[in-house]
Amino acid sequence: MKKGVNVVMKIVKQAIIIFLCLLLIPATAVLTAAVKQRFADGPNRVFSGGPLVSGELHTGPEPDWSFVGDIPTIELQLLDPPRSRKIWVAEADGKLYVWSGYMSTAVGRMWKRWPVQAERDGRAVMRINGTRYERQLVRITSGDVLDGISAAIADKYPSQTSRAAVEAGEAWVFEAAPRN
Amino acid sequence: MKYFYQFIVVALIVTVLAVAFVPGLDDWIEQTFQGYVGRAARP
Repeated sequence: MKKGVNVVMKIVKQAIIIFLCLLLIPATAVLTAAVKQRFADGPNRVFSGGPLVSGELHTGPEPDWSFVGDIPTIELQLLDPPRSRKIWVAEADGKLYVWSGYMSTAVGRMWKRWPVQAERDGRAVMRINGTRYERQLVRITSGDVLDGISAAIADKYPSQTSRAAVEAGEAWVFEAAPRN
Repeated sequence: MKYFYQFIVVALIVTVLAVAFVPGLDDWIEQTFQGYVGRAARP
């Protein structure tokens, strides 16, 4: 009887080892793709890219941001850490806003680390249509301004970002203000 | 098991080289990963 149990335990142990070893293959593929993206000029999809290098740096007066209504995503890079990602963007009352959902779940907080980093140091560079803009990300946690931002977001995206979600901390919204 | 471990080592090396150098493979992996993470992150 005891010998039979040992045989079963051995088979189970080997099955677990085989499963974990096979799991290493997709995990390595994901890790390699993520590391490769870190050396690229900007992000691709979900993995962070390297610093935004190419593109003319905008100088002069504040642009009319209404043109972002036709742009699905922009590239956002923080100065610290100098990594970039693609994010949604919206314009409301002449101001530019970016945001992140999933901030109330553990997986979301692990995935979306840039909002926490941006709250710590909001200096950022955005690349839109090949032009880079130096901005300062300022978090907005409450207020009537969120009604206009939520409406602008809902007009543009199938997003559940609402004033209530922002005030509950489920979504973090930042104004991409000019950097002085 | 010895041959299995050797297979895994070779498979890992091939995986790293393929993702690093085969055009479009890294994008496909990222897209697939995005789908899984997106579903997992939903409240």
